[in-house]
Amino acid sequence: MSGRRSRQSSNTPRITDDQIIDLVSKLHQFLPEIRNTRRSNKASANKVLQETCNYIRNLHKEVDDLSERLSQLLSSIDADSPEAAIIRSLI
Amino acid sequence: MKARSSLEREFLEKWRKGLQIGKEDSTILERKDAIKLSADVAIAATKNAATHWRRALLCDVVSENPTNKHVVEHILGHKFKNTATRLTACSRRILRISQKRRQKAAPRRVVPKSRKRNRSRALRMLVPGGEEMDGVLLLQETLDYIVSLRAQVDVMRCLASIG
Repeated sequence: MSGRRSRQSSNTPRITDDQIIDLVSKLHQFLPEIRNTRRSNKASANKVLQETCNYIRNLHKEVDDLSERLSQLLSSIDADSPEAAIIRSLI
Repeated sequence: MKARSSLEREFLEKWRKGLQIGKEDSTILERKDAIKLSADVAIAATKNAATHWRRALLCDVVSENPTNKHVVEHILGHKFKNTATRLTACSRRILRISQKRRQKAAPRRVVPKSRKRNRSRALRMLVPGGEEMDGVLLLQETLDYIVSLRAQVDVMRCLASIG
């Protein structure tokens, strides 16, 4: 068994730190709390992944909350036309 | 009216389309689900670079509730086939078992593999179709997904502030 390299599953290969750093530079416009670090290290890469996940979770929650709010707003007025009118006014 | 990106305009157009086929008499919760469904399908239906998460999202939506298919097809403007591009729960289980077997055969490493895999696991669960993507693709898809989510939220927020 010695000398035999373990094969990485093609379905879950590791994300390299460099890839994370590349992601950081692109994400920076969305996540201002990520500070640009000069050297790549595991901790900052993990932090970026964590921040990204939190950000996506927040966006999901916001979609959910906004859907609920819109539903409440629409139920307080008549069904078809005001809904269409409001939306049309934005296009 | 503030200037909107073409992505936002396309989303709004498709979202509106989906909302048009909503039922008249529905509870607040039912309407909320309908609003959310149309919004999610609409953002997945916008044309853009990445396609994996979009396809995965639409497959998820149809799998959750087959009646959602008519909303999907109405917004897309064509038939939608829930093809086996996604792993089913059964095949996913088989994949996990065979992966475990491969890991047992591999020599032990100093750094525990589980920790390295874990750090992307959360992200994989958040991005539609993430479980089946490799590292590079996952990050690319994540970026595109975030951009799209932002557009979706911005438009919905704008609409909600009118009331």
